[in-house]
Amino acid sequence: MDDRMECNQQDRMTEWMSLALDHLLGETEERQLQHHLDACPQCQEEWALMQEASTLFEQSMMVGPPLGFAIRVERRLEAKTRQRRRLFGGIAVLTGSLSLAGVALAALALMVLGGVLWSKSGAFAEIQQSTRVVSTLASGMGLVGKGASLFLKDILLSYGGPVLLLSGIGLIALVGIWIWVYSRQPGNSHKNGVL
Amino acid sequence: MEQEREWLQQALRGDTEAFGLLVQAYERPVYNLAYRMLGNAAEAEDAAQETFLRAYTKLATYQPERKFVNWLLSIASHYCIDRLRKSQRAPQVSLEDPLPPQWLTSDAPRPDQEVSKKQSRDLVRKMLDRLPDVYRAAVVLRYWYGLSYSEIAETMGTTESAIKSRLHRARRMLAQDLQSARA
Repeated sequence: MDDRMECNQQDRMTEWMSLALDHLLGETEERQLQHHLDACPQCQEEWALMQEASTLFEQSMMVGPPLGFAIRVERRLEAKTRQRRRLFGGIAVLTGSLSLAGVALAALALMVLGGVLWSKSGAFAEIQQSTRVVSTLASGMGLVGKGASLFLKDILLSYGGPVLLLSGIGLIALVGIWIWVYSRQPGNSHKNGVL
Repeated sequence: MEQEREWLQQALRGDTEAFGLLVQAYERPVYNLAYRMLGNAAEAEDAAQETFLRAYTKLATYQPERKFVNWLLSIASHYCIDRLRKSQRAPQVSLEDPLPPQWLTSDAPRPDQEVSKKQSRDLVRKMLDRLPDVYRAAVVLRYWYGLSYSEIAETMGTTESAIKSRLHRARRMLAQDLQSARA
């Protein structure tokens, strides 16, 4: 093998040999290769070895898996599907709870804001004068509004913009998570596939 | 082909039984690729199973103009190469290990004439194990599946010229391997 280095065309020739084994060598190159092989014992030897290895591989049979392979794959697939369902179920419960909490908070915030605005508008005082029942109710609402506004006043009045922005982003994120959960749920994941 | 298309559509709708039929149809080529790449039955079984699981979860990305078996082989070859790289496994066969000697003398009969099938199988496995991963994959796809250079390139996600070069170098290494074993 050492004296093979003496052949200064070895790289090109072995490339041609490889192509010849795949029947991809052009006629001209094939003739040149044959001509070179006739004169170069080193390349002749390499060509014989490459052919030998090629024959060995061509004759090697394809091996199959042990019996029951498809069943084992199906079992593993079912286990994986169950695992994913549990995971997605957990995410669904979590995001669902967060969504409900978000909706409840938003409703409370709207009620508080409405109460505060109403009490400031003066309509509150007029109603108080007109009927005692309504007056009592309105007073009650006003008290609730005032009490709650002490708690949320700074957030809603001072940071109203950022709070609304963050709430919006939060709701969009929750909707996004819901869509993702639904699309990734086993059985739904391939519905949009086109064949 | 029509049957395969039907199974694919059913599997896309989440029908695991239809997917099971696809597994039965293609278990042999996928397992063989994993076995040739990884060199032992247990790892080949696991890799072939993983290939089908990945195929199921990625089924919506399958392009129908491509042969389904080639798509599976692409997943399998990438998975096996990744697995070999992650484990950074040294070749199972040391480069110093001698190859089976029976037919390696110059006057010995050719393997297809005299040497037992088991010896040939061992020899093929050892020769493959000595090749770098990407060369091995190209050789396996060429010899066991008869894929063209362009199909191998598509399967391995590379160019035809890269495959031409890999096959050329792989064959040169195989020839040198036989040569050194004789020496």
